[in-house]
Amino acid sequence: MDANRLSQGQLVAAVAAIALFIISFLPWFDLSGAVTVGGTTIGGSKNFNLWQAENPLDIYLLIVILVALVPAVLGLLGDGGDAPMASMATALLAGIGTLLILYQIFDTPGDFGRKIGLFLGLIACGAIAVGGYLSMQEDVGGERY
Amino acid sequence: MAGGRLSQGQLIAAAGAGVILIASFLDWVGSGGGGAVTVPGAGTVNVSGPSFNAWEIPGSVLDVFIVVTAVFALLPVLLGLMGASEEYSFLSAGTLILGVVGVLLVAAFLTVDFPGSGAERKIGAWIALIGFAVIAFGGFRAMQEEVAGAI
Repeated sequence: MDANRLSQGQLVAAVAAIALFIISFLPWFDLSGAVTVGGTTIGGSKNFNLWQAENPLDIYLLIVILVALVPAVLGLLGDGGDAPMASMATALLAGIGTLLILYQIFDTPGDFGRKIGLFLGLIACGAIAVGGYLSMQEDVGGERY
Repeated sequence: MAGGRLSQGQLIAAAGAGVILIASFLDWVGSGGGGAVTVPGAGTVNVSGPSFNAWEIPGSVLDVFIVVTAVFALLPVLLGLMGASEEYSFLSAGTLILGVVGVLLVAAFLTVDFPGSGAERKIGAWIALIGFAVIAFGGFRAMQEEVAGAI
């Protein structure tokens, strides 16, 4: 395998996709509350990563990660020319994914609070979209094929 | 109306977009706590638990995805109505991609990612699943027609 086979866009999208997968296991939401019993207040909070929150966003971002990694894997295997729609799919799906995470920041599920994973996920998904877009431009420019 | 300039695939995708938009306002999730209650002097009253459409499911992003996909599938029709003469070949490919992802998302929602315990799957989600499949088919058909037209 030779990483030089990958275009700059593919590399950006693939690295960001791996980062997003790792970030998905960080806390994305938290739920905190307090109960007062007999004058004593007991508080607590629980963190939820992307996979623990009941939300289709996890499935969607998994699809984005897989779609972003496919061109890189094909490129490493030397079959990059067999996935003409991959760059466009990466840019489109990651762009919409960024929009969905942004929407989630303003519309958290129930009484959930926002945690660091949500913001890092937004950046990583945006980076995948940029990588997909760069890859699309490189495809048009014919730098690789 | 510029319907004559639209390909069959684009029309199918637009019809699918209408289906998912309508389905989004139907019930997707029901509490399943309903039943018949007999009230003395008033007979039997059917009581149903709360139901949620795609816009009311707390924290779900499916509503936004439905709107984005519907806009994408309807763009050729809207551009045709506005008299735009340019052909955007990426629209058909994008419609196919979003339709396929929509099928996967709703299928996951109905199976492994269904919210709540004891809740019921309602008709809206099933209709949306069909709608996304129609959009994907329309996008695929439109791509085929573009290729055939280019030869």
